[in-house]
Amino acid sequence: MADVIVLVIVGLCLAGSIIYTVRNKKRGGSACGCGCSGCSGSACCGKRESDS
Amino acid sequence: MSYMIALAGNPNCGKTSLFNELTGSRQRVGNWPGVTVDKKEGTYKKDKEIEILDLPGTYSLSPYSAEEIIARNYLVKEKPDAVINIVDGTSLERNLYLTLQILETGIPTVIALNMMDEVEDRGDEIHIEKLSRAFGVPVIPIVARNGRGIWELMEKAAETAREKRAPMKLPVFDKKLQETIDQVKALLEAEGEPDSGWKAVKLLEHDENVREQMKEDLKNQAGKLTAKRYGQEADLEAEIADQRYQYITKAVKDAVTKHSAGCVETKSDKLDKLFTNRILALPVFAVIMYLLFACTNSENFLFLGIPSPGIWLAGVVESLWGGLTGLAERALAGASPWIYSLVIDGIMGGLGSVLGFIPLVLVLYILISFLEDCGYMARIAFVLDRIFRRFGLSGRSFIPLLQGFGCSVPAVMATRTLESEKDRKITAILAGFMPCGAKLPIFALFASTLFADNNQTLVTYSLYVLSIVMAVLVSLLLNKFVFREGTSNFIMELPQYRIPTLKSVLIHGWEKVKGFAVKAGTVIFVSTVLIWFLSGFNLNSFNGKNAAENEDGSIMCGMNDSFMASVGNVIAPVFRPLGFGEWRPAVGVITGWIAKENVVVTFAQLYQEDVTEAYLEEYFSQYSPKELEELGFEGGVYNAEAAGDIYSENILFEGSDENALPHMRDDIQTKAAAYAYMVFNLLCMPCFAAVGAMKRELKTWKETGRAVAVQMAAAYTAALLVNMVGGLFL
Repeated sequence: MADVIVLVIVGLCLAGSIIYTVRNKKRGGSACGCGCSGCSGSACCGKRESDS
Repeated sequence: MSYMIALAGNPNCGKTSLFNELTGSRQRVGNWPGVTVDKKEGTYKKDKEIEILDLPGTYSLSPYSAEEIIARNYLVKEKPDAVINIVDGTSLERNLYLTLQILETGIPTVIALNMMDEVEDRGDEIHIEKLSRAFGVPVIPIVARNGRGIWELMEKAAETAREKRAPMKLPVFDKKLQETIDQVKALLEAEGEPDSGWKAVKLLEHDENVREQMKEDLKNQAGKLTAKRYGQEADLEAEIADQRYQYITKAVKDAVTKHSAGCVETKSDKLDKLFTNRILALPVFAVIMYLLFACTNSENFLFLGIPSPGIWLAGVVESLWGGLTGLAERALAGASPWIYSLVIDGIMGGLGSVLGFIPLVLVLYILISFLEDCGYMARIAFVLDRIFRRFGLSGRSFIPLLQGFGCSVPAVMATRTLESEKDRKITAILAGFMPCGAKLPIFALFASTLFADNNQTLVTYSLYVLSIVMAVLVSLLLNKFVFREGTSNFIMELPQYRIPTLKSVLIHGWEKVKGFAVKAGTVIFVSTVLIWFLSGFNLNSFNGKNAAENEDGSIMCGMNDSFMASVGNVIAPVFRPLGFGEWRPAVGVITGWIAKENVVVTFAQLYQEDVTEAYLEEYFSQYSPKELEELGFEGGVYNAEAAGDIYSENILFEGSDENALPHMRDDIQTKAAAYAYMVFNLLCMPCFAAVGAMKRELKTWKETGRAVAVQMAAAYTAALLVNMVGGLFL
């Protein structure tokens, strides 16, 4: 049972990571996190900035 | 109804600082020209109806570089509802040249007179009303860095946009020139050309972009008109510029009362005597950079016998992560061996190996940000121009290369600020050589484990120096054999030295950590699971053979029989001449192309068998209870759960265990080979995200492929030389 719970959690985390990355890329962001957030959005990905 | 307000101005006049204040964004700002290379949009935080656009800096609307074209095209073709023209109050004459050109477009404009604090510090006085009258638009004094005057500015800009208040026509040109402009304008109007007034001036200025869009017939008629009034050899471009400057000079003379003597030596001038000195500038730069690394990655900070702030913070993060791993270990007590391995060895081990280096990246990045923001790095570009020029590169290339110290992606993008195509192509290749934040963990790992008995700061520092040396050498070769055009001129405005605001430096640091965290939670997380799977499984895992053979029934296999070993063994021979021809380090190179941090993740997972529970128990058995207590074992009693962390922090990274990491030492036998491995990872193809950026800048896959080939060849050659020559001494 413990194995199944851990596998489900890891699976969900993996799916979340992949979905986040793909969505970020589709929005014009970087596929890896760097570029957009890693360098304060140095215009490298043309990501539209909205106010925070 | 929504409005679009564009921020336009000269480079380094504070547009992005103002943009960040108005929108609450955290766009990159820096005390040098050319930080912003693309337009960025945000929403005004006090009125969601107002969109604000930050344009790249430009000196005029006759653009020369790619980012200036972006600014000009937006203003002229897309036409915002209003422009806030940011003008540096300390350099009025130069900044107002662009102002006149913006006013000629007829777009409603408000002038934001920035850096008023510096104007006041000098004791000068600007009469706002007089300046406003001279340019026929509202002028609002502001200090963008601390937000002074910006709300009043926005009120005025919103009002100007709502009322579509076009600027009044100014008597900039003399009668003869104005009549010529009007005649050309009439010609254009007759042909139905929009923006005829602005285009008429541009046509007389011989603006290539405007001329390209005109019919031949129109250009000929305009040429005949000019020749009739000014003669065949007339240089109207110079005449127009001259008359604009005359107007500006008169306006500034009327509006500014200078209390400071013109030739008094400013603080910046005094500092420049040292920082741009022909002889001392480079040694001073070398010392400053060494101190930077001493603060980042040194067990013996400034010979004080204490760890550097970066290392100290890394210890804290490792302890916290160790605690978390301990909790996970307890929670997984009843789980299958492979599930335990997935979570503890794969995810926790892999992510932990990267997260431990975040503090080093944070400290280094904050310090580099400080040097950038105070204006020092712009001086280094100027100083390096002398050296770069000899090797066929302009000092301007240093700016993108410097960005590469943070991340290769913006570094490659920043190459578009270079005017010559040759410089752009060469610099895009060289940007990949720069030691980005993701490469620092590789250097720190190797310095702390394989160079533990050496000066670790020097090891890391030498790689940063090597990146610049390689950039210069490869540039020389490319200039000699591939690109044979001349070097373009480098004209750069040296900014005033300014003490960066704490907010700005902390924002840079926070953004870097956030970026790292996003990366750790996405690409690196997925990579850790993938690396764990490929290094712990083979085909026999799925046909029952492994389960039958393993005593505990686990379906996992030995690392040497894994999928990853099979692939690694195929590519490993390529690296044999470089000193690391075994499958594990070879695989590290490959996974590093997904994200450079993966090299550390790969090492952490593939060499975990070097630090087994049995090894730790045997190692700590040589210590007395008192010594164990000093190392951190509660009550001086050995504890298997705490042993891993205590070993990493106090033994492994201190270099106290001569027999540590036996497999890693078997695979990378000499220090020369270890250094060659770092050199190869430093110089070889950057991560895929950076290659994507190279493709965007170099336009074609063919060019990108050639650039990557140059990077790989340079990396292989340098690593080979290091291993061969270094092998004689190390």
